[in-house]
Amino acid sequence: MSLVAAGSVVAGSVAAAVSAQPVDFDWLRLAPALAPAIGALLVLVLDAVLPARRLPRVVPIAIALLALLGGAAAAVPGALGSADNPVLSLCLPGGSAGACLWVAGPIASTLQIAILAATLAVVLLHVDRWSAGDAGLRGTGTQDSAVEIALLLGSATGGVAVAAARELGTWLIALELATLPVVALVALRGTRRAAHGALSLIMTSLLSFAILVVGAGLWLVATGDPTLTGPAVRAAWADPTSRPVLTLAVLALIAGLGFKLSAMPFHVWTPPTFAAAPLSITALLASASKLAALAALVAVLTPIADLVGLDPGPHAIAFALGALAIGSMLLGTVIAFRATDAVRLLAWSTIAQAGWVLLPLAALSAVGHRAAAGYVMTYAAASLVAFAAVSGVRTTREGEPGGEGEGAAYPTSVQLSSFRGLARTDPHVGGPLVLALLVMAGLPPGILGLVAKVVAINPLLGAGLWPLAVLAVVGVVLGVAVYLRWIAILLAQPQRIEGPPEETSVRLGRGAITVLAIGSALIIVASVVPQLLFGLLG
Amino acid sequence: MALILLLLVPLLTGLVLVAAGRAWSDRTVLGVGLGAASLSLVLAVVTAVQRPVVDRAWLPELGVRSHFSVDGISIPLVLLTAIIGLLVVIHAFEEVPTGGTTGGFVGCLLLVVGGALATFAARDVIMFFLAFELVLVPMWALITRYGDPHRPVGRVEAGWRFVLYTAFGSALMLVGILLLVASTGTSDMGELLEAGAALPGGRQLTIALLLVVGLAVKVPVFPLHTWLPSAHTIAPTAGSVLLAAVLLKMGTYGLVRLPLGMVPEGFAAVAPWLAIAGVTGIIWGGLVCLVERDLKRLIAYSSVAHMGFVVLSIASGTEAGVQAALYGNLAHGVISALLFVIVGGLKRRWGVVDLGQPLPSLREIAPARGFFLILGLAAALGLPGLAGFWGEFFAILAAWSPADPATTTIFRTCAVVAAIGGALAAAYCLRVARVLWAGDSHVEWAPNVGPGPMEPTPSAHSTEEVGTSRVESADRAASGGPVGTSSALSTTTQEVETVGIERAVHVVLAVGIFALGLLPWLVINLMQPAVRTLIGGQP
Repeated sequence: MSLVAAGSVVAGSVAAAVSAQPVDFDWLRLAPALAPAIGALLVLVLDAVLPARRLPRVVPIAIALLALLGGAAAAVPGALGSADNPVLSLCLPGGSAGACLWVAGPIASTLQIAILAATLAVVLLHVDRWSAGDAGLRGTGTQDSAVEIALLLGSATGGVAVAAARELGTWLIALELATLPVVALVALRGTRRAAHGALSLIMTSLLSFAILVVGAGLWLVATGDPTLTGPAVRAAWADPTSRPVLTLAVLALIAGLGFKLSAMPFHVWTPPTFAAAPLSITALLASASKLAALAALVAVLTPIADLVGLDPGPHAIAFALGALAIGSMLLGTVIAFRATDAVRLLAWSTIAQAGWVLLPLAALSAVGHRAAAGYVMTYAAASLVAFAAVSGVRTTREGEPGGEGEGAAYPTSVQLSSFRGLARTDPHVGGPLVLALLVMAGLPPGILGLVAKVVAINPLLGAGLWPLAVLAVVGVVLGVAVYLRWIAILLAQPQRIEGPPEETSVRLGRGAITVLAIGSALIIVASVVPQLLFGLLG
Repeated sequence: MALILLLLVPLLTGLVLVAAGRAWSDRTVLGVGLGAASLSLVLAVVTAVQRPVVDRAWLPELGVRSHFSVDGISIPLVLLTAIIGLLVVIHAFEEVPTGGTTGGFVGCLLLVVGGALATFAARDVIMFFLAFELVLVPMWALITRYGDPHRPVGRVEAGWRFVLYTAFGSALMLVGILLLVASTGTSDMGELLEAGAALPGGRQLTIALLLVVGLAVKVPVFPLHTWLPSAHTIAPTAGSVLLAAVLLKMGTYGLVRLPLGMVPEGFAAVAPWLAIAGVTGIIWGGLVCLVERDLKRLIAYSSVAHMGFVVLSIASGTEAGVQAALYGNLAHGVISALLFVIVGGLKRRWGVVDLGQPLPSLREIAPARGFFLILGLAAALGLPGLAGFWGEFFAILAAWSPADPATTTIFRTCAVVAAIGGALAAAYCLRVARVLWAGDSHVEWAPNVGPGPMEPTPSAHSTEEVGTSRVESADRAASGGPVGTSSALSTTTQEVETVGIERAVHVVLAVGIFALGLLPWLVINLMQPAVRTLIGGQP
């Protein structure tokens, strides 16, 4: 059934595009998505043309950096523009703004920049693994490196495209383009555990795709129009028979995106996949994937928020978003508190933070969208810094050198006790990690995190949803406990504890150092002048 | 400019010391800390005289402005914070607790001071909240990292309690603040005085409830006080001083500024309950003090009692009440700072100050420390002529005629009960003086003679207390720190007496107690116009 629906959606969109007169293409305005796509293509072509030995690894890396930076630069005008005057492209004849298939307002453009920047950071973290002498990849040479870079760039292309896509077919395809390369990257390690992680990720992706397609089909039924912006949405909302269908469509789309955001009850894949994937890919799942999922959600909710704004009151969509938000926040935090493994703690904390991202959306207002975008960007920056720091900590217990046999380069299981005293012994790693955790907890001196939480709670009170805000207070307190627990370990006296003797060494690659430095600098600057971040959102 | 520097100097120096302090020698760190703290005091004085205003956009998304200035209500607290800040840094020359680097310790002290200064100077409610949160993590670090080295388990537990209680309180306060801002459309404290009072009664009540409960945790008001004794007992001397003299003040200051000033109708509805909670705190604190053996814990409970008086005055809602509260705030800040310095010094030497054990007489072995102890206790029990008197005297006076005539009966009952609580204060202060100063414990103390036969203490102990002392001994056994009676009795005069830097700190605080007690009108006159503006909208 879902496949049929998908087919109809895609067919509808293609029909809309084909039947149109020459569509108004503006290549330059599509550059944020085209740059990484071209980069990916270039890397693959070079890899095919030149023998692997003659293509230094630096080349694909350089192409990736250039493509990502170029794409981010191309998105800057949209981020600096105003919400009333977004960057438009692929406009259908007729000229009205509602009929453009590419609409990048300030929120979408800023999220595009964030997705590209996060992917850039992930590329830097990922490259460190190669120089670290990765046992799993040794012998396969640079061929894989080109493929991996191409996959990362492809995922970025999808994320950037979904933020601006205003047509259901493109929106769906772009969303899957953002997800599927990650499945391949998770499976890269080739171990059983990695395969298991990739399997749970791809099952989740298929399931969520099915639900999304159902949602898209319902949307199409309700509005008869594959675009997300057209006047048809308004007409469908006004019609009492099609309004429930449209509401159901939005609920299905929210559920489908709930998988990608790791919101409870769609979170189950997150901990095993986070634990199985290489850390750089886990960082991608925690940052760029979340940014893309939120961008997709905002694209769907924007027309709805405009309509509900005319007719405020308790609403099924607001209720669903609020329930997902509070559920994820409380469940994620409570389980994160019991975690003894750093990556698992970060996985459950991702679930909790997904709740915070969804929370302001429940207000169904433009302010709420800005708040959610600000929150997810804050979280992405903090989690990238945290993963960069974790990637530098390696533990080898006596008797099990290298963990699973390839552990040295793939430290996916790092006990919290390995971090004991890290802020004292290696302040250049421990310091940024403490900062990132403070931002996630929302405690000064990580003022950015606190401001993001204040901004996230604020729209709820404007919309009269203050019971949600009071529940969020419980989430704040539990969150403080989770992150301070780790910070306490980081600040503790560096001394051995009971258990098998273990050797904790801190070894950071150049990429991780760059991510730590730039990420911390961004967090500090945005803590002093948060308007730099929130101003970009309109 | 002076105001910006006043906030930036301690905060930036603190951050630098925390981040980079390990690379510097202790002498450099202390020098830098001393310089920053002295500069802050100078800047605080300049600010108090010039009263500059800083006002620029900070986060237009929420309408938050970085708006700072000082008025009669905040000037005394800013000065108190700056002075206490300087004193704790000076005290660090005498004692840097184990558990971390000197840089981390001094840095955390300065961060707490900077956060408190920003709280008192903020003129934007959301900025007030951010500054309020700023002190949380450094104070937590002071308790968990630099707290009592003999009790590793207690340190962690006290740190958790402090941080979770306070985070819960401030998160509730945040919801209240955001609701206030969303209802009125402004976050400026000046505009909110009118805009908040114009809100409908139901909305005012919701906001007032959220704000009062949130701030009551920080004050702390009974029954939300349970984080305070453990935090005080564990924290290092400087941390205890900051906690009592600065952090608790942020709670009462917030109560005056936010609910009382901005949602007067809602606050009036909550006020009787607040008054009852405050009076319960007075009696509860006083009763616990009568039987508590750990002296540091005892002083912490006496803080609960004193803050009960302050809360009672605030709840009365009158001009006289607010002045009494702010005055009592200052007085408690200085008195508890002095008492914590004295007891902290004893605790450092003896490991624990247990009133149930035989203790040497301070009168004999350390007359100067004994004098300061008696002065602090006399001020704490409200002796006229010393700082403590005016706050409590005016508190009872204010409660006798509250702003809302309908609640007169409740408030007069509270006033009577509070007066009884004042008598309890006299009882427990004299108990401490008898045991510690006069040396009237159960054995005669004599140098170079082992402890005599131990008698069971006559005072009844609550079960809670017994539990605590068991934990203590377990902790002590775990850390292997041999502390207790014998080490307390074998100390000599030179070890217990205040000398040098420590004595200087004592002298400054003692002068403060006399000054506040003899010249209350200086402070009252300074506060009066600001208090009038604050409650101008009230009958």
